[in-house]
Amino acid sequence: MKKNGVKMIKINSKNVDVFYGKKQALFNINLDIEENQVTALIGPSGCGKSTFLRCLNRMNDVIDICRVKGQIIINDFDINDKSCDVVRLREKIGMVFQKPNPFPKTIYENISYGPTIHGMAQSKNEMDEIVETSLKKAALWEEVKDRLHEPGTGLSGGQQQRLCIARAISVKPEVILMDEPCSALDPIATAQIEELIDELKKDHTIIIVTHSMAQAARVSQNTGFFHLGELIEHGSTDKIFKNPENKKTQDYITGRFG
Amino acid sequence: MNLILFTFIVLLGFTSYYFGRRKAYTIQSTNKRLTALPQFYGYYLAIWCAIPAFIIFSLWAIFEPTIVKLLILSDYSNQGYLDDELNLIYEKTKALSRGQFTGEITPFIEASAEKYLSLRSIAQSSKAVIVLSIIIASVAYAYKKISSNSKTREPVEKFLKAVLFTASLAAILTTVGIVFSLIFQTIDFFKVIPLFDFVFGTHWYPAKAFVRDSSEALDPTMYSDTFGAVPIFAGTFFIAFIAMCVAIPIGLMSGIYLAEYASVKVRQYAKPLIEILAGIPTVVYGFFAALTVGPFLKEIGNSMGLDVSAESALAAGGVMGIMIIPFISSLSDDVITSVPQSLRDGSYAMGATKSETIKKVIFPAALPGIVGSILLGVSRAIGETMIVVMASGLAANLTLNPLESTSTITAQIVVILIGDQAFGDPKTQAAFALGMSLFLVTLCLNIVALRVVKKYREKYE
Repeated sequence: MKKNGVKMIKINSKNVDVFYGKKQALFNINLDIEENQVTALIGPSGCGKSTFLRCLNRMNDVIDICRVKGQIIINDFDINDKSCDVVRLREKIGMVFQKPNPFPKTIYENISYGPTIHGMAQSKNEMDEIVETSLKKAALWEEVKDRLHEPGTGLSGGQQQRLCIARAISVKPEVILMDEPCSALDPIATAQIEELIDELKKDHTIIIVTHSMAQAARVSQNTGFFHLGELIEHGSTDKIFKNPENKKTQDYITGRFG
Repeated sequence: MNLILFTFIVLLGFTSYYFGRRKAYTIQSTNKRLTALPQFYGYYLAIWCAIPAFIIFSLWAIFEPTIVKLLILSDYSNQGYLDDELNLIYEKTKALSRGQFTGEITPFIEASAEKYLSLRSIAQSSKAVIVLSIIIASVAYAYKKISSNSKTREPVEKFLKAVLFTASLAAILTTVGIVFSLIFQTIDFFKVIPLFDFVFGTHWYPAKAFVRDSSEALDPTMYSDTFGAVPIFAGTFFIAFIAMCVAIPIGLMSGIYLAEYASVKVRQYAKPLIEILAGIPTVVYGFFAALTVGPFLKEIGNSMGLDVSAESALAAGGVMGIMIIPFISSLSDDVITSVPQSLRDGSYAMGATKSETIKKVIFPAALPGIVGSILLGVSRAIGETMIVVMASGLAANLTLNPLESTSTITAQIVVILIGDQAFGDPKTQAAFALGMSLFLVTLCLNIVALRVVKKYREKYE
């Protein structure tokens, strides 16, 4: 989205290095993410794109041996700073995982989980409303409205993933991180999710890691290409796909390696 | 003799394995493709050795004693002996042949004993000859039969399946046998003692049954108010309750700590250390409870002006609880660890803290397993014997005061069955009745547990 012709930067990462134990996984990443746009991160397996994604909501904290250096500034605030409250951060930055991971609870409880934790609903009615709008935004409402109190694990793979998206948007995050959200889904479910992503970018900034170049081209406005822990090239998706500057990017996009 | 024969058969088995494999290699060397790996040819021949040996041994074990007995007793037929007397003669003969006979030796019996010995030695040698010749014949037949396209893999696999099946069958049949022996003795017990008195009687004093002179006629009324099981059931559940009050919170919390909070290093050392608790023999816990915890509690209680028995339910239950901690902590740790990481990630990514994630996602997902581990702990608590025998007293008091001594089903079974006892005596049979009720209680517990687990299971796949 452009305001007065200037693109708004939502996330600004500076000199990000990530180490797993002694092994360095990311080298000096500098990447700006534009607000209300879809940014795709592409690259061969093990190139660090998922690691970078997990830096943005500090999910790497969960891994004991992982250390992150550098600055990641969101809303003028460095999330790697000691004063950063991870709970608030993750409320603002939602995440959808590769494999659908609904909680072994009912559909309703899956959605109400986040709002409950963050104390967002004062009454049952408010919660019902949050659940309904989240499911509607995730384009799942029509399919599940009559069985909200059945287990979420009973849904199909594509429905489960949309449930996870609904769960993520239930706390009204500003940014949604998606880690290969369609890799476990069939083409029809994938198309539904892609359509949904396009819809969601009105209200959220979306960063998606994907292995599918076609998907990156279809859904994203900006693309970053990672290779061996380095950000090789980034820019508008159009430019990256049609006129890449770096030879490695060109090779990868034309399918010569990776 | 049998041992030598057995060793010989085992050696034969190995030899036939070797020959089978060698034949397979020979076939292979003529550039023919085998239907199975050469080992299978070896196993196949070994099976041809094992099965006939097993069949003959079992037939021999079944029929040899009967036939020998018939032959011995045929000398005494037509002499007007009763069946019981014939049996006695046979037993005397056997005892004499072993040199264990102490009574008066009559020439008849001496002759029978000699005949018995010679029959036995004939039987033994003929068994050896028959077994060996049949084995060799069968192995030779199979050896000739196997060729490049004979089926050896399927029989071997089937044989393995049959062996495994037999093993599980043995376990099941043993269980059934034990249950039946319990049932029959229990029925005998309830012929003398009314079921009502047993289940609702509040006075348990089996020693009273000793007072009866064995020559006296059995008078059921004299047992009234002797076998009332309420106090010991109450004691059992009370002590188990105290034990679980100790074991569930500590075990569960340490399980959660190990699974979720402890670093890899801490876990690596802490888990085996806790599991060592499970390896301590219960008799050690028993004297720990009786000699350390019991007197300690008594002293503390006395200093506070309470009347504490040295053998208190609290001491026994508390120590029992400590014994059960590792079961609950180790099992719940395993269950919690097996909850997929993706669920944790999902919860953390929503901004949940660690404790929220554990409480709202991991604990519910792990609940069936946790309930299972708790129920396992409960059945251990109910079945535990040594600690209660040593530390909770043997007098069956009906009390809910944890500072008094009380007794449990298991402890009473011990009391009843140590020392002299007569079969068919109600006092002895009381032990079977108690064992039966213990069995029923644990069975119900397991059924309830299964139901609960099924109902509240939250599937995460």
